[in-house]
Amino acid sequence: MNQAATSSIAVRSARWARENLFSSWINTILSIVCIVLIYNVVWGIFSWAILNGVWEAKDRRECFAILGKDENGIPILGACWAGVRVWFNNIMFGRYKDGQWRVILGFLILIIWLIPLWVPGVKRKFLIAAGAIGLYPFLAAYLFLGGERSWFMSFMVPLTIINLVYNTTDWVGDKVFRVSLADTLRWKLVDRIIPEKQHTYALMALFAVLAVIVGYLIRGWGLDHVASVRIGGFFLTLVISGFGITVGLPAGIILALGRRSRLPVIKALTVTFIEVFRSVPLITILFMATAMFPLFMPEGFELNKLTQVIPAVCLFSSCYMAEVVRSGLQAIPKGQYEAASSIGLGYWQSMGLVVMPQALKFMIPNIVGNFIGLFKDTTLVFIVGMFDILAMTRAMSNDVPWRGEFHEPFLLTAVIFFVCCFTMSRYSQRLERKLGGQYK
Amino acid sequence: MLNLIYNEKIRAVFFQVLTFSLVAWGVFYLYTNTNENMTARDMKTGFDFLWITAGFDTDFHMIDYKAGDTYGRVYLVAILNSLLVACLGIIGTTALGFFVGILRLSSNWLVAKVAAAYVEILRNTPLLLQIIYWYLLLLAFLPKPKKSFDVFYLDIFFLNNRGFYGPSAFFDSGSGLVAAGIVIAIIAVVVLFRHARKVQNSTGRVIPKYSWGLGIIVVVPVVAYFIAGQPIGWEVPILKGFNLRGGWRVPPAFITLVIALSVYHSAYMAESVRAGILSVNKGQTEAALSIGLTRGLALRLVIIPQALRAIVPTMISHWMNVVKNSSLAVAIGYSEITALFMQTSLNQSGYAIEIVALTMLFYGSVSLTISAFLNVYNKSVQLVER
Amino acid sequence: MDNQPSVSEQEGHVASVVSSEVIISLKKVSKYFGDFQALNGIDLDVHTGERIVICGPSGSGKSTLIRCINRLEEHQEGDIEVTGVKLDENLKNVDKVRSEVGMVFQSFNLFPHLTVLQNCALSPHWVQKMAKSEAEKLAMEYLNRVHIPEQADKYPGQLSGGQQQRVAIARALAMQPKVMLFDEPTSALDPEMIKEVLDTMIELAESGMTMLVVTHEMGFADRVADRIIFMDEGQIVEQNVPQEFFNNPQNERTKLFLSQIL
Repeated sequence: MNQAATSSIAVRSARWARENLFSSWINTILSIVCIVLIYNVVWGIFSWAILNGVWEAKDRRECFAILGKDENGIPILGACWAGVRVWFNNIMFGRYKDGQWRVILGFLILIIWLIPLWVPGVKRKFLIAAGAIGLYPFLAAYLFLGGERSWFMSFMVPLTIINLVYNTTDWVGDKVFRVSLADTLRWKLVDRIIPEKQHTYALMALFAVLAVIVGYLIRGWGLDHVASVRIGGFFLTLVISGFGITVGLPAGIILALGRRSRLPVIKALTVTFIEVFRSVPLITILFMATAMFPLFMPEGFELNKLTQVIPAVCLFSSCYMAEVVRSGLQAIPKGQYEAASSIGLGYWQSMGLVVMPQALKFMIPNIVGNFIGLFKDTTLVFIVGMFDILAMTRAMSNDVPWRGEFHEPFLLTAVIFFVCCFTMSRYSQRLERKLGGQYK
Repeated sequence: MLNLIYNEKIRAVFFQVLTFSLVAWGVFYLYTNTNENMTARDMKTGFDFLWITAGFDTDFHMIDYKAGDTYGRVYLVAILNSLLVACLGIIGTTALGFFVGILRLSSNWLVAKVAAAYVEILRNTPLLLQIIYWYLLLLAFLPKPKKSFDVFYLDIFFLNNRGFYGPSAFFDSGSGLVAAGIVIAIIAVVVLFRHARKVQNSTGRVIPKYSWGLGIIVVVPVVAYFIAGQPIGWEVPILKGFNLRGGWRVPPAFITLVIALSVYHSAYMAESVRAGILSVNKGQTEAALSIGLTRGLALRLVIIPQALRAIVPTMISHWMNVVKNSSLAVAIGYSEITALFMQTSLNQSGYAIEIVALTMLFYGSVSLTISAFLNVYNKSVQLVER
Repeated sequence: MDNQPSVSEQEGHVASVVSSEVIISLKKVSKYFGDFQALNGIDLDVHTGERIVICGPSGSGKSTLIRCINRLEEHQEGDIEVTGVKLDENLKNVDKVRSEVGMVFQSFNLFPHLTVLQNCALSPHWVQKMAKSEAEKLAMEYLNRVHIPEQADKYPGQLSGGQQQRVAIARALAMQPKVMLFDEPTSALDPEMIKEVLDTMIELAESGMTMLVVTHEMGFADRVADRIIFMDEGQIVEQNVPQEFFNNPQNERTKLFLSQIL
């Protein structure tokens, strides 16, 4: 039995190879060329990076010493990973040295917040996502920057925490114990005093009151202040692209709606805005921001690089999002708009209840594609002098002990980007396939 | 009276007036702030700065330029430099993109997978990272001028860490004859093609117009060249001292940019080509073959025209991206418009608003031109439908 | 269904409940699409309880006519009054008219991202501001009336064409309108599903609803209509009671049309 199985695998492989790789003269030659190429490249990289890699060394010279020379006196080539190990923290966090746990906590919180979006059967996913976009930035800002809380922040930070705890208890309880916190709260508690139509407002008021109470109780506790200029490395990349998408998507929706408007003034303004910023490179917008924002603001308005760059990136991102949203809206058949207005829904109601929910599902693959582009484009802030991951990579090559070494840090950065972008693009391709069959 | 707020027309006017006022107020606010700030910092405005002398030099310029020329000339030099790198980048992208795209569709599993890996690796890493890496690679591996690499082994083109060198031509009297020869050749080829088509339409006989055409284009100008007594001379770069002198040179940053832009965008182009070819209905190939066309003719007359309809619009948007991404030259010091004009000139002269406006004008014009071409193309290949 | 002949197979005209009150009135209504005139001086009075079938060749303006009544199209000349409200640029009037007039489309236009129940409860909850549970109760009532209560939690994509159109009818009825407009409701259906939708419409007629139906189903017209209107090239060419219309067409064009479809 086993013999038959193994021989059939061998037979099948041989047949597959014959059909796919060696079916003709040209194919055979191409296949051989490819195999040779792949072998050389892969083996070369493998032996340089893994086999001959040096993981512990004081500086570059020591790396070379450890690698030594081969029989012919030619220096052996190997990766000097020691430098990357020393610089790894810088590459990831920039100059944010104290309290890196705050950064990690912040991203863990985001992940926990977003998990329910992937769990099937969770209700009110839209509200969870909206909370992530609308509330999380405040919590993140306080976690990363710390310092004294203004009135506004004293309210928003507890509100966000309460929202997160509420959401998580709700969906976990629902999935695991079949008891939904939201439903219990609403129907067992609120319903006794307040009629159904006002439940939503009551719940919102409840949250607000709780936030104020909690905010007052924790008024003595706070986190140390960290200057925003310390944000750097991969952390900075994530912050900038995070802002880019959380502001870019809503702004893009508004711009797209404006572009589709029948009112000529609004349409002209939005079209001009979108086309102007889409036809110029991002770097010119960044230069414009750093050169001209100080001129635009009134005297005494403090601006640092981060507050100049982030609006520029959001501006840029919203114009590209607007185009994605516009094509999504165009895909919705006119009959949907007509049916919505024929049952009495107004413009904003039709958009919010009928058109947008359908269009957003279409748009998600393109939105993810846009985000991947934005994620890669954040490296441009290196050119205007911010300490993002690319700047850290270059800084390592200029650092005295590791001077001149560039393959290793570049490879690390490339791998980091590749893993993130490739995962996201695979995910969006999967989404596209899943959604493509739904609207036949 | 209250009903007026529900009147559709009045509402429309009201919202437009409101939006316009808000935008106008915003612009006015920015304008006054800018004015105040600029007077406070003693900055000047006005497009007459274009006639001020620029006090700096640039290492690469296609037209004559020296340190005493005006900013206006700098603008011109910058534009030409941008256009040069963009054009070469576009050519490289298209050629490489089509090549890889077709490989992606190969029936050979290994070849298709290698091409797929090429595409995925390039698309999922940032372009700036690739540009800087290519630059560092080139600087590390290009030889010193004394050991310049002789490209093509003809003693004409050279490559070293100061750039890529090639021969420049100088034209004696008699070159006019060569130019005339080229013009005559082109006219002859057009006439030949017309004639070939007429013959094919009336008798069905196929004249090998491509081979003849190629022959004419090559032979006629060469004959004219020799008849005129070889009036075109070549100045070949020669090693004098520490550097090559003579001929023309493009700096390493330029080479890097062309290579990096071509390679990066070819990955996107390859996907467009692949998608375009796949979008043609399989039944088309079957139908074409069933009416007796060979695979080659089927490809040329049926598949490719339809595939192009799908490929061209995306191809043109990739071209626009090549133009826009050429601005990353600023990271490696190639003096195209962003680096030379928006960065250097702005720092030197301080005329921020005008320079930003002129730079955006350049990119906007290029975008508009390319879009216009796209519209013309789309109209001309529009499938006629009911 | 059971062995009894279905409603549409039974003989006999549905009882007439026409009152004298005019619920929709069109006076000299004209509509242009650019240079093309789709409606040419239409005069029409619809009485409460009346069932009117509008037929005609394609491009005759019949869809445009009923779409003007709920302002999906805007007329350029003439006056349209619905339940006493004049249709003009006043948005409040337009909203009021739309809540009194229900529409069923040829391509159903159900909202694919909502369940059947949510489709029907949408308007009562968001436009009439009912509480959600109230709105859903109301929606179930109408789903019962069109005989598909068991599909309430399914999505439109899971239903057959005939079922989807019946849901569309329920969705329009959930607004509790005074008039129902039908724009070729069965034209997009496979033949075996046309009957179930027509049955629903006949039941609706029997309950006394004022209906304007654009259709080619002449059997339905014969059974239900109080009046059949024939339109061609944007004008009302002929209108009559079904008996007279089918047996005694006056106009040449009517005769030509009838000979083509009967």
